[in-house]
Amino acid sequence: MWSIIVLYSFAYIVLMSASLFVFIFVRRLVIDSRERKEAGVAEAMEQDLLEVLTAADPAGAAQAFARTHRARTRVLKRLLVAYREALAGQALEPLRMIFERTIRARCLRELRSRWLATRLQNVRLFVDFSRPEEAVHLVKLLDDKPVVRLAALNALTSIASPDTLAVIFDLFEKDHQPNFYAYSNIFNGLGQGIAPFLRASLRKPLPPDKLALLIEMAGRLLLRDLYPDVVRFAGHPDKELRIRAARALGRLLVASSSRTLCGLAADREWEVQAQAIRSLGNLQDWRTVPILTKALFSPSWHVRYNAGYALAAFGLVGVLELQEISRQTADRYAADMATMVLDTVILTGGA
Amino acid sequence: MGGLLHVLDAGAQLAILAYFLLINTFYVLFNLLSLAGILRYRRMITFVRFGEIFRMPIVRPVSVIVPAFNEEAGIIDSVRSFLSLRYPVFEVIVVNDGSTDGTLARLVEAFDLRASRSVFRRSVPTRTIRGIYRSPVHTRLVVVDKVNGGGKADAMNAGLNVSRYPLFCAVDADSVLEKDALLKVVRPFLEDPARTIGAGGVIRLSNGCTVRDGQVVRVGMPRNWIARFQVLEYLRAFLGGRLGMAMMRSTLIVSGAFGLFRKDVAMACGGYRSDSITEDMDLVVRMQKHMHDQGKPYRIYFIPDPICWTEAPESLKVLARQRSRWHRGLIQTLLRSRGMFLNPRYGIAGLFALPFYAFFEMAGPFVECLGYALFAVHIAFGRVNYPFAVAFFFVAVFYGTFVSLVAILLEELSSRRYPKPRDILILTMAGIGENLFYRQVLAVVRAWAYIDYMRGKKEWGAMERRGFAGAARTP
Repeated sequence: MWSIIVLYSFAYIVLMSASLFVFIFVRRLVIDSRERKEAGVAEAMEQDLLEVLTAADPAGAAQAFARTHRARTRVLKRLLVAYREALAGQALEPLRMIFERTIRARCLRELRSRWLATRLQNVRLFVDFSRPEEAVHLVKLLDDKPVVRLAALNALTSIASPDTLAVIFDLFEKDHQPNFYAYSNIFNGLGQGIAPFLRASLRKPLPPDKLALLIEMAGRLLLRDLYPDVVRFAGHPDKELRIRAARALGRLLVASSSRTLCGLAADREWEVQAQAIRSLGNLQDWRTVPILTKALFSPSWHVRYNAGYALAAFGLVGVLELQEISRQTADRYAADMATMVLDTVILTGGA
Repeated sequence: MGGLLHVLDAGAQLAILAYFLLINTFYVLFNLLSLAGILRYRRMITFVRFGEIFRMPIVRPVSVIVPAFNEEAGIIDSVRSFLSLRYPVFEVIVVNDGSTDGTLARLVEAFDLRASRSVFRRSVPTRTIRGIYRSPVHTRLVVVDKVNGGGKADAMNAGLNVSRYPLFCAVDADSVLEKDALLKVVRPFLEDPARTIGAGGVIRLSNGCTVRDGQVVRVGMPRNWIARFQVLEYLRAFLGGRLGMAMMRSTLIVSGAFGLFRKDVAMACGGYRSDSITEDMDLVVRMQKHMHDQGKPYRIYFIPDPICWTEAPESLKVLARQRSRWHRGLIQTLLRSRGMFLNPRYGIAGLFALPFYAFFEMAGPFVECLGYALFAVHIAFGRVNYPFAVAFFFVAVFYGTFVSLVAILLEELSSRRYPKPRDILILTMAGIGENLFYRQVLAVVRAWAYIDYMRGKKEWGAMERRGFAGAARTP
């Protein structure tokens, strides 16, 4: 009796394995057949889309295209996203029109889906094709899960208007768990147009981590008008804010910031010193060479490292200084650092 | 006396049956979670263009650290693969861990390396570094030549000291990464930068595949059955187990062959421990402990589609050495982190993940060997307990095979890397065939690893490298 049970068990295993194999095989056949069919549809649709893009009246052609292909949403979505990659500026208008006349209503409906993945998919479509009046739908998603919120924010950046910028900054200020990395990219993507909002936010009593990002952005976007707002953080008790101020000053390259940076180079915290030294290198004020040379003898590795490269940024003057330090024997660490910088400069052909 | 023995025997049989029923039920649960995870991931990444990371003005740069000891056979292909990764800002740091073969010479020749007088900060202790090499042609490449000793962990620490970027990716020197692997695995660090401390991808076996210019250009099935069984094992472990456990926030292992970590957290834990046998698991557990101790929320992700291809042993002897080391490492890590065990302070890691690994992964081979031994004793005494034998067969073999078959299905749904139906058929056959000999041998090896651990065996277990050129020519 037991041997029969064992025999049946083996038979079950074989049957189960065979079923799995058949399932995979049939699934592949179905998927391949569907993909072939969709490839055919996509090819025909692409031909029509190219005609729309090259038509004398793109708006009319886009309407005709939308009427013909509105039922093929799956292929249409893929095609629109692919072409969005390749096109820019006015050429995008026909795509926007097709989007609005075919899948926009459905996308809006699916933005309210209970499934996160569905909401995310549709926000991502809006990232490419949203219009200013769409902002109201996207703003509603700013209370969603982080990944959807991020996508909604990205979509909002593509329809930057004073209203949406105000919404973005308001959200940033109120966000309890901001994704600083995402906000950095969003602000950066918005460009210099954010200056008035940035100035207003910098003057508010925000938490240090948020202020740090705003200072960083002022430097990164080269908003020299915000110099007075940035420089006041050089004396802030928070170390991180002093670091960010030093970094921003090194980017803004305002001549009068040299004195502030020299002060920060003598800060009690090595992190602030290191950043100030690096920024002095960017500024290339020859009067600061003795400070940089002195910094190369700092007990902090990072300060020495930044001082070495800051001196190298001065070109011949800095290289000669580095050569001299590399030859001295009183401080081995300074000599090693100078040698490394010179070596890197020679190897990579930099400076 | 006879009665007592009989009771003990019956009790042991029942315990073994319950154990296997439980362990395989957990595996099925993980598989189901993985299935849900894979389907969700596929929907989530629809319309995601990984290339958009290139357009991001602020990216998080990555240091790819590659420890290498006697890897001359495949090091050039691997480094080419790492250098050709699609990622905006990264560096590749190869740490030659005192190789006695031509690893360094081959690197110097292939990448035109020159000795550099780099100065680095020794944040974590390592053995002496003999030299640092850079290439004027491949400016992203740095080769660190260090004195051998301290194992892979020490080499990783040397790489960490030299690295410049806030994220580091640990990869094996006998591996190749797919071009987009970094772009895919870095996503959690962009979407949830404050909490994400680690992320891992899938490891697949390159045996049987064709590798050209550092990329897998044709995926195939190895001809060697030991390698075929391992292909299935890796599918089961990564697509079934690790993804399922990550869904339950219970990740304890991010493979050292391909894992991305936040450097500040790793450094705060003191980097890798050079006396650890499995340095990857040890680091992940300590990172989690550190985050809990600091009261900071964290996540470790498992991403099902960035793939790292690595070479697997094709002889039972080398495989046994590898598995023995893995098991000794598991025992060591679990014993070292016993303070976290069932400790509610460490959340799900302490309450579920560690006990799971201890009861099922660590003790599993003993229980399995006990089952086989009982069966053998019964046969020897001519008193085969057929109900037990059949039930054992069902819960251990039949149920286990089912788990393997689901793993094949997960592969098909996640990435479909084996295009030929023949390969799927071979995998299916491997799912049945591994129960006949392979599984029992590995159970004995893993059970024996405990004795080796108690004896203080530290041997790494040299792996025979054939290089990727020979991978497709499996005998």
